Amino acid sequence: MRVVPNDATVKAARILAVDDEAANLSLVEKAFAREGFHGVVTFLDPQAALADFAQTPPDLVLLDLMMPGIDGYELLDSFRRLTPVDAYLPILVLTADTNVRARLRALALGARDVLLKPYDVAEMLMRSWVLLETRQAFQRRP
Amino acid sequence: MSRLRAWLRPATAWADLGLAAKGLVVVALPLAILLGGIGALHLSSRAEAEAERAVRLTFAIQRDIHEVHALLAEAASGVRGYRLTGQEAFLEPYTKAEALLPLTLARLRASVRDPEIRARLTRVDALVIQKRQGLAQLAAMPGAGSQDSLTTREVAEALVANKRVLDGLRAEIEAMQRREGQLLDARRARADSERSRTLGLTAAMAVIGLLASLAAVQLLFSGIVRRVRTLERDAERLERGEPLTTRDHAQDEIGRLARRLVEAGELLRRREAELRDGEERYRRVIEGVRDYGIFALDTEGHVTSWNVGAERIKGWNASEVIGHHFSIFYPPESRRETPSRLLAAAAADGRVEDEGWRVRRDGSRFWANVVITAVRDEAGELQGFSKVTRDITDRKRAEEALKAARNEAERASMAKSEFLSRMSHELRTPLTAILGFNQLLDMDRELLGPDQGHAVEQIARAGGHLLGMIDEVLDIARIEAGGHTMNPEPVRVDELAREAIALTTPQAQAAGIEIRFQPGEARAWADRRATLQVLLNLLSNAVKYNRRDGRVVVEVRSEPSRTVIDVRDQGPGVAADFVDRLFTPFDRLDADRWSGAQGSGLGLALSRGLARAMNGDVLYRAAEQGAGSVFSLVLPTRPVAEAAPSRSETAE
Repeated sequence: MRVVPNDATVKAARILAVDDEAANLSLVEKAFAREGFHGVVTFLDPQAALADFAQTPPDLVLLDLMMPGIDGYELLDSFRRLTPVDAYLPILVLTADTNVRARLRALALGARDVLLKPYDVAEMLMRSWVLLETRQAFQRRP
Repeated sequence: MSRLRAWLRPATAWADLGLAAKGLVVVALPLAILLGGIGALHLSSRAEAEAERAVRLTFAIQRDIHEVHALLAEAASGVRGYRLTGQEAFLEPYTKAEALLPLTLARLRASVRDPEIRARLTRVDALVIQKRQGLAQLAAMPGAGSQDSLTTREVAEALVANKRVLDGLRAEIEAMQRREGQLLDARRARADSERSRTLGLTAAMAVIGLLASLAAVQLLFSGIVRRVRTLERDAERLERGEPLTTRDHAQDEIGRLARRLVEAGELLRRREAELRDGEERYRRVIEGVRDYGIFALDTEGHVTSWNVGAERIKGWNASEVIGHHFSIFYPPESRRETPSRLLAAAAADGRVEDEGWRVRRDGSRFWANVVITAVRDEAGELQGFSKVTRDITDRKRAEEALKAARNEAERASMAKSEFLSRMSHELRTPLTAILGFNQLLDMDRELLGPDQGHAVEQIARAGGHLLGMIDEVLDIARIEAGGHTMNPEPVRVDELAREAIALTTPQAQAAGIEIRFQPGEARAWADRRATLQVLLNLLSNAVKYNRRDGRVVVEVRSEPSRTVIDVRDQGPGVAADFVDRLFTPFDRLDADRWSGAQGSGLGLALSRGLARAMNGDVLYRAAEQGAGSVFSLVLPTRPVAEAAPSRSETAE
């Protein structure tokens, strides 16, 4: 039983996941793999994630906020700088910070959606799918 | 003594006389004397005139006597001539005498007063009549103009008789003339003496008038002028504040005024003394104040007075500091600007208060509270300033210590909040993987055996419970740390109760519980979210710990200055021994009695914490009828100044 609609073009998407907790990255990887997504790349190191983002722009970013070294907010800012003005590159923030200010700040820095950890896996998948579909619609425009 | 008094009596009477009467006397006295003098002069001059008139009369009498004699002599000579010549022309003097003599004699009789002359006049009268008869006889005798006209016997006899009469007349007239001559002398002498008397009287009057004027001036001087001058001197003494010694006992206006002045002087001295006493007391009070430096400044800011407190606080004594500008009390960095600014502000606003560092005589500093007040006179003119200084260095230090402690507490509180935040984050992060992977397993339920499926369910349930507990623990910790910010506003309690009931209804329906609502049109001053959270917790408890097919009643009530929401269930209630522990975290009481009742044991503690953070409370009481519990959320109706939770008489 799949959670998200079966759409080959959406499932071919490149998804970049950044988290300082390996288990969480693994969860994301497994969840997407189960739905048929195979373009998921995961990074424990934000610096490496940033390098990868610069080299191969993804279709979706799943981002944790509280990380050692470069934190999520800095990454959000860097990703926005690296994204062309007319492009739609959605970022879904997954955070364990219950403070509403953290969510507001993330959204202000360019995040398209925020989910509080622990999140419902199905909901996470559905929201990711919605964002990817929106990106596709954006890319198809004349 | 009695003679002295008798002598003093008229003087006293004069002194007692009113000023108007005194003026009248002073003016009238010379005037009366003048009038008397004029009267006397008048009388005297009248006597003089009388004497002169008498002299003139004597002259007239003498003239008349002489005329009688002359007329008779001329008549006799005429008659003789006629006798000799027989010419009628000689009879003219006779006829003239016949005509004039009665008139002249009548005039004499009218004017003569002297008895001797009157007697002679009577005799002369008789002689004149005799003479006239004799002459008439002679004239009428025949033979006039003949040679013997004078020689006939009859004529001769007549002539002789006439001559005798004439001699007698002449003798009388001579005697009369002599007498008149004597009278004239006497009357002249009298007139002279009258004249000299008048002269003397005039001179005497002049002298008396002068003396009277002098007396009047003296009266004026002694009765009025001198005393008015004394009054003037008294007034000057009064002005100088010297005691008055005037002893004017007269009953007139000046005397009364003098005594009033003495009384006024007494009163003034008494008042001055009282005032001096008051000022002295006041001065001693101010000078004796030790805790406050109280001193006066002139309009420029120079010190003009100094009290013990000022000396104690600042170190200078009065003699060292009076006359100096008060800027010497200020540290060098503010000496230039602050004193003049404070004086200007005090002059403009009437008063200025300042706090800051001041220096003592030895150069040490103290933190001072200073009040400068402008001192103005009745006309509003600036007279100077009063300055009250307090050394509040100790208080300042205490305040600073308090501020430091408060900052430290705030820092600690913030650190605690920060810790709680991280704690939450750190607990939620592993739960993400646990619950997430469990959900993945659950998604592929068809691949699992029944035991594994059950295990997945248990993990999901326990994980959910753990997550709820993490949230509640963190909420409680946050409230206790004071980090839970409330946003109180006026809320309609009925609305919030309906919302909470709507959210709880699915849970209640699942348990077969009916929820009833009794609205109360009440408002409260509360945080909307926290109120809803408490109501949800109370309702959820009432559903969970109810009897099967039981009922929950929510009732909103207004009480003075607070609003109460009662949530009543029909469960077994709380055993008396557990009531005390009802609001203690993690004390789930005899939770095992409730099969299927899920809870962290934190709900009531959290609810009470939230309610108290809103200046309200959550209270418990046993239901009045039958079994069951009543949990009440109490909220204030208006903002409470201090965080004093409203307590109730109800048992908790």
